[in-house]
Amino acid sequence: MGPTTGGRTRLSGMQKQVLSLYRGFLRASRSKSPEDRRQIESFVSAEFRRNSKQVDHKNFIYIEYLLRRGKKQLEQLNSPDTVGLSSMNVTFSETENPKN
Amino acid sequence: MALRAAVLRHVRVAVQTRGLESNPWFTSGSIRLMSSHDDHLTKEEVADRVLSVIKSFPKVDPSRVTPEVHFQKDLGLDSLDNVEIVMALEEEFKLEIPDKEADKIDSCNLAIEYIHNHPLSS
Repeated sequence: MGPTTGGRTRLSGMQKQVLSLYRGFLRASRSKSPEDRRQIESFVSAEFRRNSKQVDHKNFIYIEYLLRRGKKQLEQLNSPDTVGLSSMNVTFSETENPKN
Repeated sequence: MALRAAVLRHVRVAVQTRGLESNPWFTSGSIRLMSSHDDHLTKEEVADRVLSVIKSFPKVDPSRVTPEVHFQKDLGLDSLDNVEIVMALEEEFKLEIPDKEADKIDSCNLAIEYIHNHPLSS
């Protein structure tokens, strides 16, 4: 994910946003049931890493789109009205495979 | 009434004559309050627990963990793993670490330093 192989690199503003979003999901998952928490963490982890591999790190426009979308999904996760994880899965898979 | 007054008088006198040196509660209490970290976690204790958390991280090879390791440079983790480690440390020490600080913690040393200096670590 970006220049993680180097030494102490300064994170770009965009990288910080991505990490902040990731952190947000992990924080949100803490308040769920242990089973839900495992599911969320596993899913979010896979998703972020997949995007990191597949998306060109210079494709700022797409990354910004993913960040916006992720923030909305996080808001839903944090909202008390969220019913469960299945709806989240559907959302993700619908917009999967950014074959540019 | 008279008895009470006598007792109170006695107590007052007792406090006056004892002073700070001989009252163990006061001695340890005041010195404790003046010092910075004595009643806090020792650096050793923090280090032990930090190392333990990192060693239990699934993607980490425990034999490579030393107090000097960098999470990404030495342990082959990525920045997302770094986030996960810092969050695991938050849970271990019952802290909430703000993003700005969390982004800087990318090695064992920095983690130990930060946690040891944090007034609320437990």
